[in-house]
Amino acid sequence: MNSSYRNTIFVEDAEILQHTGYEGDQYLIRLRAPKTAEHAQPGNFVHLQCDDLLPMRRPMSLMRVKPKTGEIEILYKRHGHGTTLLSQRNVGETLSVMGPIGRPFKLENYHRYPLLIGGGVGLPPMVYLAEHMKNLRGEISPFVILGSEVPFPFPLKPSQIIIEGIPNGVIATMPLLEDWGVACRLASLQDYPGCFEGYVTDLARSWLETMEPHQRSEVEIFSCGPTPMLKAVKMLAEEYGLPCQVSLEEYMACAVGGCAGCVVRLETETGPKMKRVCVDGPIFEAKTVVFQ
Amino acid sequence: MAKNNLTIEFCGLEFNTPLVLLSGCVGFGDEYTRVEGFSNKDVGAVCLKGTTLDKRLGNPPHRIMETPAGMLNAIGLQNPGAHTVVEEILPTLDFSETRFIANVSGSTVEEYEEVTRLFDDSPIDAIEINISCPNVKEGGVAFGNNPDMSACVVEACRRATNKPLITKLSPNQTDITENARRCIEAGTNGLAVINTLMGMAIDIESRKPVIGNNQGGLSGPAIKPVALLKVHQVYQVAKAHDIPIIGQGGICTAEDAIEFLIAGATAIGVGTALFYDPTVCKKINTGLIDYLERHQLADLSDLVGTLTLHD
Ligand SMILES: Cc1cc2nc3c(=O)[nH]c(=O)nc-3n(C[C@H](O)[C@H](O)[C@H](O)COP(=O)(O)O)c2cc1C
Ligand code: FES
Repeated sequence: MNSSYRNTIFVEDAEILQHTGYEGDQYLIRLRAPKTAEHAQPGNFVHLQCDDLLPMRRPMSLMRVKPKTGEIEILYKRHGHGTTLLSQRNVGETLSVMGPIGRPFKLENYHRYPLLIGGGVGLPPMVYLAEHMKNLRGEISPFVILGSEVPFPFPLKPSQIIIEGIPNGVIATMPLLEDWGVACRLASLQDYPGCFEGYVTDLARSWLETMEPHQRSEVEIFSCGPTPMLKAVKMLAEEYGLPCQVSLEEYMACAVGGCAGCVVRLETETGPKMKRVCVDGPIFEAKTVVFQ
Repeated sequence: MAKNNLTIEFCGLEFNTPLVLLSGCVGFGDEYTRVEGFSNKDVGAVCLKGTTLDKRLGNPPHRIMETPAGMLNAIGLQNPGAHTVVEEILPTLDFSETRFIANVSGSTVEEYEEVTRLFDDSPIDAIEINISCPNVKEGGVAFGNNPDMSACVVEACRRATNKPLITKLSPNQTDITENARRCIEAGTNGLAVINTLMGMAIDIESRKPVIGNNQGGLSGPAIKPVALLKVHQVYQVAKAHDIPIIGQGGICTAEDAIEFLIAGATAIGVGTALFYDPTVCKKINTGLIDYLERHQLADLSDLVGTLTLHD
């Protein structure tokens, strides 16, 4: 019997502990969901009941997970009916959380220089992964590039961490990552102070170009963001011959593998395949993904 | 589950409870066991995903979309093919927990017959004939909306098996009762009423349909009143032949389930409701037991078809 995955997803009534709005219709919600928090791994998501008025849940990436206090944090952008209703929920109310869901990032063949590229609502999985990496001992030093075309949902802070290959004046970082000692830079076309003016992939390229070839061969890319960005990241990885894992999003109904509603088309050695983003993903090897 | 008065008989099979998990919502029977608090033991039967002779990749994304009180889907019968289902998937299922029903589809009458034959030679408990899938170009609803073709498919499947045959009817047709009558004459043992209604959603920025297949099948609470009327209508034909019905379409609560029983359903299908609450079956079971006690009924069969119409 195929029982290895039995009882791995929990349904919890999670109390809203914090719900903060930021510019650009962005919200941070912190929930008490101890079972999800205990079992989650970087790359996992939860399936959230935003409101009783909706017939369906919404998948949301995890940004921070605190097993000790049983808390999870989600960052979302209000863009439709579901997230609009969610944004109206108050601290003290409860939401039903299903989680943790999905295959996490594959981290067994750790490369020494992980490059994490997050764009827009693709930022949370990168923060989760960065926190996980900084907690690991060893010689791993991730470099995180975050891009956004609306104001970042945190105050920009000049970084004290020196990174080679970064244009002068590109000094802004995310305070949380700075506190963790994780190297990070921000990119945007909106001319935000201290941010790289251009695409995340351009900033990544400038970093890669100044590396010694032996260092560059130890880079692995992890990415999440809008499809055009992921396409560009996939091309960058191919150009430099680097392994690359991407986190994908798709509309979901069940989020447990039951409906095949959330598929992505992959080109594999054995031909085309339709894989479910919820349980076969959401993390996939970029080289296999056929972006629409 | 302990023996209780939720046990029903359906096409000669004993079901733990009247609940049937619907085809296409629960993969090949085991996916929901990922969820703590969900158990196949809480349901009488589980219908597997629609299966064709050869494997199908299905439709391009997006395949699903939330709509008011429901959802559209156009999966396009993605499945690994009947041989793989019978040889590789069925052996992994735990038949001690519940019963499993195959859901058979095809582009030709011969394909329906062949797939049914493959399942006949397997441990599957019953076979559901899906002549109502709205999301494939050939077969499916094209057969289900034509009583002659429906009867022809049922006869072919009947030739291929002695296991209980359940025919799943489409609501997208003029007279569902005529179709039901023809399927009964052709040898079906049960009926499933209803499959999804055809619908569309449009992205007003791109002016394209949201669904990759352009159109999809509507399910969930939005279709419940339609489903209830169809069950009531089909029951008028089926009861004379003692043919049981799996009522389905938007059922989310015990109250919904009871309405369908009163309208004439013997078993209760749960599909879309699982997506919102994966532990909904336990709640429906509890509500059903409660209702039986409150109304001092011995078991659910005392409720089936007890609707009294206004004069
Ligand atoms: C995502 C999805 C996939 C489905 N796939 C199938 C299928 O393969 N075969 C079939 O006979 N019905 C299929 N159906 C129809 C359901 O089995 C059921 O008849 C219908 O959804 C109405 O019930 P509900 O409102 O409780 O979901 C599917 C429904 C959904 C939502
Ligand atoms: S959302 Fe149902 S299979 Fe992924």
